[in-house]
Amino acid sequence: MSAPGACAPAVELREVEKGYGELSVLAGASACLEGGRAHVVMGPSGAGKTTLLRLVAGLEEPDSGEVVRPRGRLAMTFQEDRLLDGLTATANVRLPHGRLRGRALGEFLEREREALRAVGLPVDARPVRELSGGQRRRVAILRCVLAPADVLLLDEPLKGMDDGTVGRVMSYVAPLLEGRTVVWVTHDPREAALLPDPVAWRVEDGLVRPARGRLVRR
Amino acid sequence: MARSRGEKDLGPAGRLPTWAVRLLCVAFWLVVWELAARAIDASIVLVGPLEVAGHLVSLSLTGEFWASLGISLARVLAGLAAGVVAGVALAALSSRVRVVRELVAPVMSAAKAVPVASFVILVLLWVPSRGLSTVIALVMALPIVYTNALEGIRQTDPALLEMAEVFGVRPLERVRLVYLSQVLPYLRAGFSLALGMSWKAGVAAEVIGLPDLTVGEHLYDAKVYLNTADLFAWTVAVVAVSVCLEALVGRALDAAVKRWEARP
Repeated sequence: MSAPGACAPAVELREVEKGYGELSVLAGASACLEGGRAHVVMGPSGAGKTTLLRLVAGLEEPDSGEVVRPRGRLAMTFQEDRLLDGLTATANVRLPHGRLRGRALGEFLEREREALRAVGLPVDARPVRELSGGQRRRVAILRCVLAPADVLLLDEPLKGMDDGTVGRVMSYVAPLLEGRTVVWVTHDPREAALLPDPVAWRVEDGLVRPARGRLVRR
Repeated sequence: MARSRGEKDLGPAGRLPTWAVRLLCVAFWLVVWELAARAIDASIVLVGPLEVAGHLVSLSLTGEFWASLGISLARVLAGLAAGVVAGVALAALSSRVRVVRELVAPVMSAAKAVPVASFVILVLLWVPSRGLSTVIALVMALPIVYTNALEGIRQTDPALLEMAEVFGVRPLERVRLVYLSQVLPYLRAGFSLALGMSWKAGVAAEVIGLPDLTVGEHLYDAKVYLNTADLFAWTVAVVAVSVCLEALVGRALDAAVKRWEARP
């Protein structure tokens, strides 16, 4: 954990407490997440990893303490896919870009198609409700990493994917994370090795602490 | 699909297609109707389907028939369109502002409960008879579209709205992409219902208000002159328009939704 004022934070938690009814999730958590870097957040189920992401995204308010939220635009891969079922994969991926027209639309569509092929998704006119669970997950990841955002929040994005698909997805996604502030929540310590020079954190016992010696090569 | 006990296939090669079964059922009732007409043998009381069909053909050869249908239809569709626009706009406002929702609720309940005839007489005091069916179609469509659109908006998945908020999707885009895709099935059902109700109520209003050269006026004339064949022929025309409209509008809406969904 960096001391307050010791880093140039994109995100900072100051003595954050957050609970749901009787259940206390974060109890005085403090952390300083440096901007422009990837941060891997690990910890047991129910420790508060998702709550941490939701606090950073501004979807929750702390009961006490302070969350200094990142400036600029956010993008997020939620635990669920949260796709617009009636739209195609490309229309879903384009959602954060507003209404593109003419040349801008053509150029972005080309980029989208390239991205879909790179992660092994079909490029067709089907609405995403007709895609498999794994395919939908990849659409959700692409929507996040191709968004015009400075800060990316990803909640167990690779959950349930086989090693081959993970390799394919990450070889396309990892270069897109360079230079952006990334908060990557996972159960699997091997995922940290897939990210560019990540800082590892552990959420446990209501606190957010730097994790040491837990990064394993996949 | 599970079949109830005793239900059998209608043919040796398996089930007959649904359209064939429907056609057979319609044919059965037409035969019953024709036999009943022949048994009663009094054209003032009941006219058989063959005579009605003949009457309808001769009516359809006149310009007045098409003009009357066109005028009635145009007026009802104008009211329906106004009802759809007003219903959707009001539902959007109600979903955001609770005071509006509470204020509008009793009005919509009343609009659904008040008999069409009461509305017609009231509206006749305010507008000329040629505007009557438009106002009645609007009054019929508004509560249906409003209720369905509001329900659709309220059923919109909050997880999707949260997602749109995180991604900073602009309000107009949020309406176009998030709300619309969720509300569309509700709106589609409401529109079909409103279409049928508006058309029937519009014609009923014309029977009371008697605007010139309308379906309602012809129905009234048929009653006054005890011309039962005319009455049946115009009724068949009203039903045919209703069925065609529903099929056409339904298909057009489905095609539009499919096109919208398939865009890259």
